[in-house]
Amino acid sequence: MWLVVAVTTGVLLALSRAATGPLDDPDPARQRPGYLDDGALPVPAPEVTGGIPAPGRRAVVFFVRAGQLGPLCQALSGFRPGPVVDMAVVLQEGGGRCPQGITVVDDREAELAERYGLPTPRDGGPPVGYAVVDAAGHIRYRTLDPEVASLLGEVSTMLRAVS
Amino acid sequence: MTGRRSGTDDRKGLRLCLWCLMAVVVEVALFTSYQGHDAKFHWFTHFFVGTSAALLAMAGVALRTRRAVPLPLVWLLSGHLFAMLPDVLFNAGVAHERWMEVFLGHISSHFVPGRNVTWFLIFLVCLAAYLAVVFHVGEGQDSATRTRRR
Repeated sequence: MWLVVAVTTGVLLALSRAATGPLDDPDPARQRPGYLDDGALPVPAPEVTGGIPAPGRRAVVFFVRAGQLGPLCQALSGFRPGPVVDMAVVLQEGGGRCPQGITVVDDREAELAERYGLPTPRDGGPPVGYAVVDAAGHIRYRTLDPEVASLLGEVSTMLRAVS
Repeated sequence: MTGRRSGTDDRKGLRLCLWCLMAVVVEVALFTSYQGHDAKFHWFTHFFVGTSAALLAMAGVALRTRRAVPLPLVWLLSGHLFAMLPDVLFNAGVAHERWMEVFLGHISSHFVPGRNVTWFLIFLVCLAAYLAVVFHVGEGQDSATRTRRR
């Protein structure tokens, strides 16, 4: 029985390591860690666009590539993170808008992602993830999250943590 | 006599199978509670950390009581559940905090060099340690039985 446990877990571990995607963090421990103020954080949040982030208001800044914009906009249309929360989407390649009136900022050079300190994913391209900014204007959480459109509940959890 | 022993062995085997099945079902449920393909990394960390701690505790208890612990899979499941409890809270909307390190280093355990491969090796060492203790205890019991018979 014990041999089966050891071999099965070893095989599953190997399979899970092979299942990482090109948009994942090279260090899986740094992806979606679920706690605030990791490493150098908190640090002042750079301005994304006029009014975001704004004093006294929390913000979540999403960083996406063209392929993630549609699903994210659709998911955000039903996303209610609570009062005094601003949202912005930073689009790092291609062009597009969110039909729901959510602010979309073009950032083809991925400068904003760099200034927000998001890590470079495994494929070396612009990061897909998000940063959470507190009401004092500090970045408290940042992570790569290629599946953010389907994991907005987790974004809510991190936003609640900075309230 | 042989038939009776065989019947007892069958019942023991069946009971073991049921425990194995229950453990697999619970672990699959815990695995699927992690949303997103990247979160499986966390399941592995807490599985290896929790079960390693459980195996060390089992080895300690076996040494003290001079016999293998009953229901070993329940010990392993309990260790895993204890190690991953902050993730259960996270699913309920509670972000991780530093005090959650009390759950077998829930946050820092992710950052050991070598990551989950290291924890897997530690798990194997703990498993070997437990089996060595059980073997040692079993040998002692056999030798005591032989001495009594003489």
